[in-house]
Amino acid sequence: MKSTDTKTDGGTDIDHDLFDSGSDVELARSEQLSNAFTEYVYAPVMILWDDWRARIGSLIILGYLLMGTIGVILVEPATLHEGPRLEGVFEGTEFLLGTDILGRDLFAMIVHATPAMLQMIIAGGVFTTVVATIIGTVSGYKGGVLDRVLMTVSDIALTIPGLPLVIVIVVIFPPQHPVTVGILLSINAWAGLARALRSEVLAVREESYVEASRTMNVPTRVILTKDIIPNLMPYIMVNFVGAARGVIFGSVGLYFLGILPFTTLNWGVILNMAYTQGGSLYTLETIHWFLAPMITIILLSYGLILFAQGMDRVFNPRIRARHVQDDAGTEDTEDDGQIQTTVTEQI
Amino acid sequence: MNYFIKRIGQSVFTIFAVVSISFGLIRLLPGGPAAQLRAQLIQDSAGAADMERVNRLVELHTNIQPSKPVWEQYVDYMVAVFQGDLGESLWHNEPVSAILGEALPWTVFLMGTSLFISFVIGIALGAVMAYYEGSNFDVSATSGIILLNSIPYYIAAVVLLYFLGYQMQVFPTGGHYGSGVEPSLSIGFFRSVLYHSVLPISSMVITSFGGTAIAMRGNAISVLGNDYLRVARLRGLRDRRITMEYVARNALLPMYTGLMMSIGMVFGGSVILEEIFTYPGVGYYMFQAIGSRDYPVLMGSLILITTAIVIGILIADLTYGKIDPRVRGEDREVY
Amino acid sequence: MTEKHETNVAADGGTVQESMAGGTSINEVDDSILSLRDVSVTFGMERGKSKVLNSVSLDIERQEILGVVGESGSGKSMFASALLDAVVKPGVVSGDITYRPGEGSETDLLNLSDEELRQLRWEEISMVFQGAMSSFNPTKDIRGHFEETLKDHDYDVESGMAHARELLSDLYLEPERVLNSYPHELSGGMSQRTLIALSLVLEPEVLVMDEPTAALDLLMQRSILALLEDLQTKYDLTIVFITHDLPLVAGLADRLAVMYAFEFVEIGPADELVQHSAHPYTRSLLRAVPNLDSPLDQMHPIEGASPDPVNVPTGCSYHPRCSLATDECRSTDPPLEEVEVDHRTACFHWQESRQEIPLIDDEETGEHDSDTPIRTAAPTDTVVEMQDVDVHFEQSSGFFGFLGESDIVHAVDDVNLDIHENDVVALVGESGCGKTTLGKAAIGIQRPTSGEVSYRGQDIWEAKDSPDSTDIPFDEIRQSLQIIHQDPGSSLNPNRTIESTLEMALKYGPHDMKKTSRRNRIHGMLSYVGMNPSEDYASRYPHQLSGGEKQRVALVRALMMNPDLILADESVSALDVSLRIEMMDLMLELQEQFDTSYVFISHNLSNARYFAGLADGKIGVMYLGELVEIGPAQAVIENPKHPYTEVLKWSTEDLNVEEELENPPIRGIDIPDPVDPPSGCRFHTRCPYAREACVTQSPSISEDENEHGAACFRDRGEDHEYWDSDPIQGVEASDD
Repeated sequence: MKSTDTKTDGGTDIDHDLFDSGSDVELARSEQLSNAFTEYVYAPVMILWDDWRARIGSLIILGYLLMGTIGVILVEPATLHEGPRLEGVFEGTEFLLGTDILGRDLFAMIVHATPAMLQMIIAGGVFTTVVATIIGTVSGYKGGVLDRVLMTVSDIALTIPGLPLVIVIVVIFPPQHPVTVGILLSINAWAGLARALRSEVLAVREESYVEASRTMNVPTRVILTKDIIPNLMPYIMVNFVGAARGVIFGSVGLYFLGILPFTTLNWGVILNMAYTQGGSLYTLETIHWFLAPMITIILLSYGLILFAQGMDRVFNPRIRARHVQDDAGTEDTEDDGQIQTTVTEQI
Repeated sequence: MNYFIKRIGQSVFTIFAVVSISFGLIRLLPGGPAAQLRAQLIQDSAGAADMERVNRLVELHTNIQPSKPVWEQYVDYMVAVFQGDLGESLWHNEPVSAILGEALPWTVFLMGTSLFISFVIGIALGAVMAYYEGSNFDVSATSGIILLNSIPYYIAAVVLLYFLGYQMQVFPTGGHYGSGVEPSLSIGFFRSVLYHSVLPISSMVITSFGGTAIAMRGNAISVLGNDYLRVARLRGLRDRRITMEYVARNALLPMYTGLMMSIGMVFGGSVILEEIFTYPGVGYYMFQAIGSRDYPVLMGSLILITTAIVIGILIADLTYGKIDPRVRGEDREVY
Repeated sequence: MTEKHETNVAADGGTVQESMAGGTSINEVDDSILSLRDVSVTFGMERGKSKVLNSVSLDIERQEILGVVGESGSGKSMFASALLDAVVKPGVVSGDITYRPGEGSETDLLNLSDEELRQLRWEEISMVFQGAMSSFNPTKDIRGHFEETLKDHDYDVESGMAHARELLSDLYLEPERVLNSYPHELSGGMSQRTLIALSLVLEPEVLVMDEPTAALDLLMQRSILALLEDLQTKYDLTIVFITHDLPLVAGLADRLAVMYAFEFVEIGPADELVQHSAHPYTRSLLRAVPNLDSPLDQMHPIEGASPDPVNVPTGCSYHPRCSLATDECRSTDPPLEEVEVDHRTACFHWQESRQEIPLIDDEETGEHDSDTPIRTAAPTDTVVEMQDVDVHFEQSSGFFGFLGESDIVHAVDDVNLDIHENDVVALVGESGCGKTTLGKAAIGIQRPTSGEVSYRGQDIWEAKDSPDSTDIPFDEIRQSLQIIHQDPGSSLNPNRTIESTLEMALKYGPHDMKKTSRRNRIHGMLSYVGMNPSEDYASRYPHQLSGGEKQRVALVRALMMNPDLILADESVSALDVSLRIEMMDLMLELQEQFDTSYVFISHNLSNARYFAGLADGKIGVMYLGELVEIGPAQAVIENPKHPYTEVLKWSTEDLNVEEELENPPIRGIDIPDPVDPPSGCRFHTRCPYAREACVTQSPSISEDENEHGAACFRDRGEDHEYWDSDPIQGVEASDD
């Protein structure tokens, strides 16, 4: 219960009408919606579109998303002997990327491997960022013993080599579902981000505006979500992409070597088959079998990096403000380059 | 002094934690290696199961005595591991420490060299990019690096193996030295070793120097914007001194942290890389152990790789204090 | 008038009388050490070409101290860079700069080869910047900095280092200790003095100083200035001292040059310029600066803001802010013309200016009749009461932190302070004296190590820890005590618009308001503090506001909580001099409307005097965590009881150009380490009156009938044992 009458000094209530604006500044509901749209949707998209890297990156990612959703419906799954064995790229019109040794359409195989791959990537990225954000912010904001314990754990997780640990776990408990694979592959990927976020939180926590919010009795939950986490978004985005890339590299690598069970189709599985069954290493005839999944992986990873670089701009209020309102009187032209470098450093 | 003790303590603690995890995986988890090994041994003896013999064999291989209480098993295991006893290989019937002890120097050689070359190239390129910041060279180098960074190292390895190994036959496709060469201190042996390491090292370097270059570029640019550089010019210092003692030194220092982070990544990658090039390092044996379900070797290589990384990071961290005066005696974050 | 202008640069009874070539007109035989003719600096920017230095012509005389004064963004730093041909790319310098090292020989500064320029820099002309900390290579020790400078200029290192040691001791530094340190190990004041020593190691003719002391405490600034004057005499230097702070340099400089909008608007001898300035801007600037002597109601802010370099007004660039502006001013740029010998100004109306814009010194200043506060507070309830408050911080801990012993910093020690309703308490002291910590303890955002802080009789921390057994719930206390921070840059969340920041205050504040009325309140308040149109300002992000505007938003945010007490932590210090009075006036005006009290923290005694004086408040002086003097503003300023307050008063420059800079009434320039504060009276290590009694016993405050008291034995009666004990080593015995 809060009331304005809590003053104990004889109730000198202030004539607040003095400070209320006379003119009606209420906005129509539609106007509010359109403002929100501008701020949260239109402006970020425009900022992304402004930057060639982000533009190409988002287009590539969009392509893969389409491939994993609509593509699966449009493209028939590959079947045995649906075409000639080892047809090359663009040799026929039916099998754009050629066929494998069993006459299966490589393009169809790649398309149908995409949904599982996307699940894996998203699971790994979300797991990493959520765990890291929680550990990093709690550790940085709360401090004390909790901070020390969490950071010691992070330090250990950071030192243990990811891949060998994952291999050992995978060998002992073979994961089946793509989501499990994604999470397993990022088992210690959160540690670096958690540390980075913690030091960022430590810095932001000392900012005057956070102290002002505390002084205003704003709940911790609101301070964390409104004052602190927005400052961490560039890190979180870049690391989400880093984690996603780690999952792609790791999963494809482990499928490629046959360490992960072939429960789902994966680009790494195609690579593995090309490597082990096709003898890709010894003959030119099967090179397309190998190149197709390879380029698929590289392109997605390329798109993700470009996208991450562009996302940084979206979270920069200086750039955002320029798009929300074409108001003159802002004098910031020099800082864009600098922000760019801070992000690329982390990739 | 306090700082040294603290860092060493932390390193020991990390190794301790990994060994504990390894024990947990072997013993505690149902369906874990110890249980599987036990089941296998019982099966092997075809009904006439001599439990005592089985237990003895399990202990021989994994340092775990199934009949004892868990905490006692744990203590025994920890003591054994810290004494260098990693159990005995199921496949080779040799102590794990002997197999991996022989393999470790090769992994350290391969990965250490990769790391070194990748950093040298990255730093040089990054410095040049920073100097020509915003130029066409800078922009195209950045895009090129992003592309290289998108290539997994094992794909680079396979591509190199395909073209230079099998198709053109310029470099050997496997092994750590030629079959006819005897390990000795001769030039011929060294040449053979280098020759065999070209492809694995190249595939690691090609895909990793870009990250270093970008980081170096960022550091150098931020150093170039510092006040002390402007003051150094105003002080009329010679360009050579400014380049070496002001820009290079201050831009390189943060790279040291990056180096520490890379140690872990690179050693972790040795498993896949050594398998592709059939290079008999720790990673190769680890991979072989997966196929043959040779748990002692699997666990031993995890512990060994971690230890190598921890020691590498510790050395880097302790020497960092020697280079950067700001760290000395202060509480510094590990990374 | 043909007589030569005499400038007395002697100090300490020395008799170095330097006669300089009179006048600055070009016709005479020129022996100025640096001559600038039509020097411009231009930058090509996206929004157009900007001239950040506009056809400046000036002669700098041999061995003079020239003070260059201007607000931030007036082009004064560009002027400094141009003197060393060191304008940062893509800036372009044009015009002529002639350097005359000795009789006859001349060097055209802008036409030197790179190698010639390299040699000239630091050997002939050297420079000191504001951020001394960032002027050193962080990975090189101080000795390395001196040695490399000597080596690269082919000086003999051994004799050069001997000179360096001498310079360091001239600046009250321990040479060996400093030389062996790394930059991060020096305090701000120490590194600034080290940089000055470094700038003089090659024995240059000219020393250009760009805001060399702006980042330091006033006391340190004044101390450095006093040292500078000694150095100037000792080494026959020509000094160009660039600052935003007119009073600071007025006592030091022989001549002053005032910059406005990238040109000089007035140049003249320091005393002449301060007492008989001709340009309306100079006169307004003199009136806008808070100081200790002038009557409070005679200080006025300058309306408006300095122009943007891309868009300088036509004609006289000052005309939009000038009360005397005519059509002529709007169309024609007035040239710098002589109004008296050596005194030139760029104004068509300088005669009117002298009549229309009265200077403080022009009036009767002897009697401070007008110094009555705008209101007097009746005795009222206590809002916050602090009893025996200690705040200690532990330094260093970590994972294995228990292995090393941690140091305890005594930020606040044993302070008692009451803050009444509608009261103003100004806390003054050097940085690190604990004034901010004390302030934060007062508003309940810093938990005291021991002692009690209570709000209207309710212990704040008890209310927080055991909410059940309290009279006033913690939430209410929390909302009643608010804060305005020092740095406008970080006081507002950069990711939120002004509106959403202010809405937070209303949402979580003591109000139960609908969204519409919240909007109305926000817009109403913004309009009230002069941010119009409020719709525009409300939708901006903090980076789109100026520093002054950000501080106003912070003030509005604090007031929206309906607080009983606001901690204003150096909240005007980061603003331009001419804006400070405006901000303080606004704060006081809103105090009346909102019935709130202020704890006003400042390192600047004159700001404290202005703020507390107008509101009939108190001034508290802090030293090393202790409150050493407290009392009514006027009494503390006019009749300081503690020696440290006297020192602070000395450091708060007066506009008195006739007096020579004297050495500070203090021993030792640097503050002792707060980890290990001195025994007894903490000030005894620096106190000019310290006696043996002060080393062992620590005095407490005893207030007189005016509630004015100091923690000093000299304030006690004649029979106090202080008077019988011997002066400690290093203190001259005095009879008083």
